[in-house]
Amino acid sequence: MKQVKPFLVAVALSIAASAFAQQAAPKPETVIKWRQSVYQVLAWNSSRIKANADGQFNREEVVRAANSTAAIANSGLGALYAAGTEQGKGWHDTSAKPEIFKDGKKVGDLAGNFVREANELAKIAANGDQAAVKAQFGKLGQTCKACHDDYKVKD
Amino acid sequence: MSRQRIWDLPTRLFHWLLAAAIVTAVVTGKIGGNWIEWHGRSGLFILGLIIFRVIWGFVGSPTARFASFIRGPRAIKAYLKGEWQGVGHNPLGALAVIGLLTLTAIQVFSGLFANDDIAFAGPLAPLVSSELSGRITGAHVWLFNGLLAVVSLHVAAIVFYARVKKTNLVLPMITGYQALNEGTPVVAHHKHSFALRLAAFVAASAIASAGVYAAAGGFIDQPPAPPAEHQAAPAW
Repeated sequence: MKQVKPFLVAVALSIAASAFAQQAAPKPETVIKWRQSVYQVLAWNSSRIKANADGQFNREEVVRAANSTAAIANSGLGALYAAGTEQGKGWHDTSAKPEIFKDGKKVGDLAGNFVREANELAKIAANGDQAAVKAQFGKLGQTCKACHDDYKVKD
Repeated sequence: MSRQRIWDLPTRLFHWLLAAAIVTAVVTGKIGGNWIEWHGRSGLFILGLIIFRVIWGFVGSPTARFASFIRGPRAIKAYLKGEWQGVGHNPLGALAVIGLLTLTAIQVFSGLFANDDIAFAGPLAPLVSSELSGRITGAHVWLFNGLLAVVSLHVAAIVFYARVKKTNLVLPMITGYQALNEGTPVVAHHKHSFALRLAAFVAASAIASAGVYAAAGGFIDQPPAPPAEHQAAPAW
């Protein structure tokens, strides 16, 4: 009896854990929503950096936006392109072309470029002047474009 | 060998500036990054050129006028049979002129409302919803293929004339003069004084500039600055 009780507890726990694990796998719709939301947050940060690069330069604002961008870039965005999310609706129909789920190596390279330039922008935002921020912001934008050109649906 | 003047200076300037501006717009659009700003600027410049050329098609010298070179299908058929007698744009080439002008106009007009989904938007994009701006961007990208096709056809025709028909069409577009061989019809001369032609040029340029100013968002009302006490966003 003494051994049975811990055993039952363990079984109950593992059932609960596996049920929880199953629940934790998010629905494709949710993943697509996250995916689309991430790009909206990136757009917010981009617009802040651009406003500061073109107009009055407020370093604090640039640092916040650049750090936020770098944090998103390093957050493992690939997880948002999980199998099963090739098609469907998040906030709206996905703009991801089917190829982004197939061209693993190339997409990985493009994503790596994005992470590298985002990290560099965060570094420059801390110390660089307005011109340096603007130049690096342009480089970062090119890594966005590289992926959009091949893998984003033009509506 | 005698020669005659067939293209006036504004028409030639228009042609080469347009070619340079289109190349600039294509290259900067492909590179992206901060170069996208030059994509926008070259697009506005192209718009000005197009407006100028349309006006010049009514007030320019005889060979530049639409009425002198836009012809119906019968004239095109006659041209293909080698029966066309004239100077300037031939009836078939006229179609290319109209096609290039129209496609380029649509391309720059759509660009005004487009955005690059990164950090750049055409000057008139704020006038439409972001959804519509996105759809116009799709059209802008897609229509580029059409423009590329017509430009390729245009260049191929120039090469065809040079190689097969032994006619150099590029040189007259630079110098303004065409070699006058036996049987070449003589161009109708301008009846207007230089002062009047200059006035037409200045007026056309002024209208084109006003068009560019409007397209650059010059007439869009800037939202009034919010009152000072509301200006700062919350510090967090």
